[in-house]
Amino acid sequence: MKKVVLLSLSAICAIAVQAQTKINSYTFGAKEARWLGPGTMSGRITAIEGVANDGKTLYIGTAGGGIWKSTNAGASFKPIFDKYCMSIGCIAVDQSNPATVFAGTGESNMRNSVSIGDGLYMSSDAGDNWTKVGLDSTEHIAKIAIDPQNSQNIFVAVPGPLWSDSKHRGLYKSTDGGKTWNKILYVNEKTGCADVLVDPSDPQTIFASMWEFRRFPYAFSSGGKSSGMYKSTDGGRTWKEIKEGLPAKPFGRIAMALAPSAPKNMLAIVESKETGLYISSDGGETWKSQSATMNVVSRPFYFSCLVVDPKDPKRVYRPGYGFSYSDDGGHSFSDASYEGGWVHSDHHALWINPKYTNQMYLGTDGGVYHSLDRGATWMFAYNLPVGQFYHVACDNKTPYNMYGGLQDNGSWMAPSEAPGGVNNSNWTSLYGGDGFWTVPDGADNNVAYAESQGGNIGRIDLKNFKSVDVAPQKVAGDEKLRWNWNTPIVVGQSNKHNLYTGAQYLYKTTNQGRTWNKISGDLTTNDKKKQQQEESGGLSEDNTSAENHCTIFTICESPLDENIVWVGTDDGNLQVTFDGGKTWTNCAKNCAAAGIANQAWVSSIEASLYDKNTAYATFDNHMYGDMATYLAVTHDGGKTWQRINSTEFTGFAHKIKEDVKNRNLLFLGTERGLFCTIDGGESWFRMKNHVPDYSIVRDIQIQPQTNDLVFATHGRGIMVINDISSIRAITKDIADKEVYVFEHPPMPITTGKYGGGGSPVSGGWWGGNPDDIAPIEYYLKDRANEDVKVEIYDANKNLVQSFPGSKRKGLNRVYWNMRMKPPKTATGGTKADYGSFIAPMVLPGNYVVKVKVGEKEYTTPLKMVHDESNKLFNEDDRKTQFDAGMKIYHMHEELAALVDKINTDQKMIKTALDSTVGAKSKKWLNDYYNKLEELRNTLLASKHKSIFADEKKLREEITELYSAVVNVESRPSNLQLQKLDVLTDDLKKGKDSYEKIDGEYKAAAPKVISDGKGNKGTQRVGGQ
Amino acid sequence: MRTIKIAIMAAAVACVSSFSTFAQTAEEVIKKHIDAIGGEAAWKKVNSIKMEGSINYSGTEVPVTVYMKHKKAMKAEFSYAGMTGYTILTDKAGWVYLPFGGQTKPEPMTEDDVKKSQEDLDVQGKLIDYKAKGFTVTFLGKDDVEGTECFKIKVVSPAKKEETMYFDATNFYHIRSTSKVDMNGKEVEMTQTYSNFKKLPEGIVWAMNQDSGNGPMTVKSVEINKTIEDAVFAPKN
Repeated sequence: MKKVVLLSLSAICAIAVQAQTKINSYTFGAKEARWLGPGTMSGRITAIEGVANDGKTLYIGTAGGGIWKSTNAGASFKPIFDKYCMSIGCIAVDQSNPATVFAGTGESNMRNSVSIGDGLYMSSDAGDNWTKVGLDSTEHIAKIAIDPQNSQNIFVAVPGPLWSDSKHRGLYKSTDGGKTWNKILYVNEKTGCADVLVDPSDPQTIFASMWEFRRFPYAFSSGGKSSGMYKSTDGGRTWKEIKEGLPAKPFGRIAMALAPSAPKNMLAIVESKETGLYISSDGGETWKSQSATMNVVSRPFYFSCLVVDPKDPKRVYRPGYGFSYSDDGGHSFSDASYEGGWVHSDHHALWINPKYTNQMYLGTDGGVYHSLDRGATWMFAYNLPVGQFYHVACDNKTPYNMYGGLQDNGSWMAPSEAPGGVNNSNWTSLYGGDGFWTVPDGADNNVAYAESQGGNIGRIDLKNFKSVDVAPQKVAGDEKLRWNWNTPIVVGQSNKHNLYTGAQYLYKTTNQGRTWNKISGDLTTNDKKKQQQEESGGLSEDNTSAENHCTIFTICESPLDENIVWVGTDDGNLQVTFDGGKTWTNCAKNCAAAGIANQAWVSSIEASLYDKNTAYATFDNHMYGDMATYLAVTHDGGKTWQRINSTEFTGFAHKIKEDVKNRNLLFLGTERGLFCTIDGGESWFRMKNHVPDYSIVRDIQIQPQTNDLVFATHGRGIMVINDISSIRAITKDIADKEVYVFEHPPMPITTGKYGGGGSPVSGGWWGGNPDDIAPIEYYLKDRANEDVKVEIYDANKNLVQSFPGSKRKGLNRVYWNMRMKPPKTATGGTKADYGSFIAPMVLPGNYVVKVKVGEKEYTTPLKMVHDESNKLFNEDDRKTQFDAGMKIYHMHEELAALVDKINTDQKMIKTALDSTVGAKSKKWLNDYYNKLEELRNTLLASKHKSIFADEKKLREEITELYSAVVNVESRPSNLQLQKLDVLTDDLKKGKDSYEKIDGEYKAAAPKVISDGKGNKGTQRVGGQ
Repeated sequence: MRTIKIAIMAAAVACVSSFSTFAQTAEEVIKKHIDAIGGEAAWKKVNSIKMEGSINYSGTEVPVTVYMKHKKAMKAEFSYAGMTGYTILTDKAGWVYLPFGGQTKPEPMTEDDVKKSQEDLDVQGKLIDYKAKGFTVTFLGKDDVEGTECFKIKVVSPAKKEETMYFDATNFYHIRSTSKVDMNGKEVEMTQTYSNFKKLPEGIVWAMNQDSGNGPMTVKSVEINKTIEDAVFAPKN
């Protein structure tokens, strides 16, 4: 028995040991994602809160990009919530102690694509650190209201889950500053709290609106008898429902506002059979209907924002489909001007600086706007990269382009790199509406395809961006075509001329949509109960194709055989054909046998690059209230499936991607994270490589030429992890080593990919570039507590360069500038000379990288090669450049030695002067000193100190030529080489002058110098 | 059989517990940190420090010398191309002199900056007797610094300057600090990283590699309690 226990113990300890060398995100932490953004079109903003006392600290809550903070009124923003849920419902700052900030996760603009929250968070240090303080199962939080007279009292409106019944809905209250929570208003499992107001003049008076609502994958319902408006006058202990003057029930969503400067004045937009604006002047006891514009009353489930100016009770703002404002307490409204530029439609948040109410910030479906004239005109914040991409695709150009479609922000493309780095101006708009699949043609570099919601597909000429509608049409014998909100447009992986799309039927074209072939029957369940979209919306009709159902949602042609095509639908069917569409097999039951939920959306299928019968698939069942991560694989063409699971997984699954070179490397994108396996799915880890922990990852691609991992997030734009080769290369054996220096492919010697310079782009979002030069990579099992140094040796074992190495746990990447150590340059003068920071590029050849970690050394060979991509700079040019560069290098060192001699002499002359009394001797010494000084002044700039006054002497002339010759990829010009000769002569003249002075004065020194006591020649001068 | 199961479970629980024994307080972490870097007694004997090293820029070594006299003065001096620039802070004044771009005389620091920077003159470090010095500390749990698990503590000075310190969970060395500094109305974030810890003859442990965002500095020598003349802290050019 004892033996069994010991065995068990050793097994447990083995797990512990293995845990120490586990490969996870930290192993590759140095491979940080670039955030490409863009900021050109931002994403949906759900909450804006500012600090009243300073008017410049802002917190921006987003639909899928976390929280961004500005401390400069929006000049710049930083993400401050990247370790937590990306979907933000609301934010509140305790204005009596602005370091206290609350964030409710789970957006409450209950559209089809809304994400899910995981509770309420609190920060006590203005957003630096966050703690979850409860309401974990609420999924959606709409509003937080803090009692302005006692900030221990906090009210939180919780609509609760969108896709299921829940007891977690209702209005919650804390009386201890957020530590504990009690539900103080609850109606039933279908009815949540959509809004809460606290009367600032009497914080015992609370208003709440309750909302009955529910979504299904194929329908939405806003409204029911359980919705209503409530008032409490005892801090939420007891409630009465307000009815007087309001319309007949049922109600849908109710948005409420009160005037902070006169709180008896209230407004409400009440969704009902005839949705309208209601006004109260007696603290909500009675209401009167008020006529209102379409913008004021439109789409109440989505536009729930209504705000009264903090100082002026008559000034009312209605951010909705557009932006409306009233100067008469809501009796009439005007719309904002587009004088300052178009303001994106669909508004959800407004913060007015209470100290200066002209200043306000508006949150829309397309980002943040800023007004300084009470909302009449607006300026866009181009620096928030919170776009909500659905998909991303890449072409094969150099550099490659990224293509993607955004929720409510159209379809776009941009290069993956650009001189100066990718910025907003590099993005080009391709198509309007909501954007989804945006794909380049597989064979024609000048064509791409994009769509708007519900299957409106366009073929775009990339030379002039004109588009042609190419969506397949219903023809005789077809049922009405059912297009998903997010209709797939997919290029063949095996035959790049193939293009697919799908309604309930699968369509294929081989001529860019000029001729379509229907290659399947109805591949969905065709369940008529799920096709009543015209009835969708509840009290307010809402049928925007978002609820279209029984449609094809994903398509994948095998990269190994164009006759193998996999299709997934939004109602649980996973179909495959092995004969180009002649016959189809439904794998739904086989998937169910593996534990996949029956009607789950098939969100992605990945046919393996390595085996025709292997395919991976992700499934999304969240629209039935099931948030599980479903991932499965088949190795027999769909007959049997095995579910792949991991305790690491969070969020329903959107995309599985197999690596293009390593079949065991897979990436999974879910609603709550990016995950990776390097062992074919046995173990997984969350990617945190400058990727927010719970990013909403909707699509993943690997660009085969660059090996870049490109992924589309639904709230943080497009992200790219450049060159994942080292992720492929890592093995468990390597991970067990203390230190490992990777082998590097031959490294082209270059100054970098791009020149440029000049003034940087002001404002906007900057997504940077990939590495300009190739890095040297090594692995450290643990963070180094010793000195780490990287040394480069040439083939003759001469040290070429050395520099400090990084010390992080896992992969380290350091950059050798491919140059030698810079020369010693002449010291002194009035300005610093930068020649001592410049060195020639090394010549092609064999080198050795030595990584020194403490006393230990690890080496790897490194072959440096001429950069063949630069056709204007051949190897002979390089050699000529190197030889010239080295001549100038040595000139600098010779000049430095000469100036050192002068400096030494002058120092000794000064010493001699101190102990010399004879006037004649003093004069002689002064003359000697001045002769040297005169010479020195020809060698170094020594007159002008201002950086605006150029003064060029020999050192500066040498540096100017040196820089011009060695800092470029070019053969030196004839005149540069002639200049080199001129400077060589000048240097020789300088040396000769020194020798002359030295000879003249040093010989005479013993005769002339006197110490005043009759001793001659006791002071020795000169540098001998 | 039941006994075996219980034994296995007990072993598992013990194993798991050993991974999660981090119910630490700020006080405990700071005490372990101070013990790890030589102990309070050794640090309390430190009255002056002279540190020499260099910062590597593209292969060029720029020499740096830092002088510190406890609660009196400090000077960071760096030399390049025959020129020497410095930052000096004393208990009464401060100067910045950067001649490399043509600055001709030292610029005095503002009175406010001098006042706000006084706590930097504590060469023994803010964590020695932090309570008596008026610092407040908050334990913020565990976090990672580039994959290394750390204890995270926020330290707030009497002047309300905040610094978040990260202590390597395995050896309690202070490996990173982040802080936000108000610079004339602008919030500037600063990060300092420390590594290569060596025990000095005086018994204290010193980070021989430091990086405050200006390039990695390699410390070549540290002298403790050697006389530093006051003249060192006089602004000259």
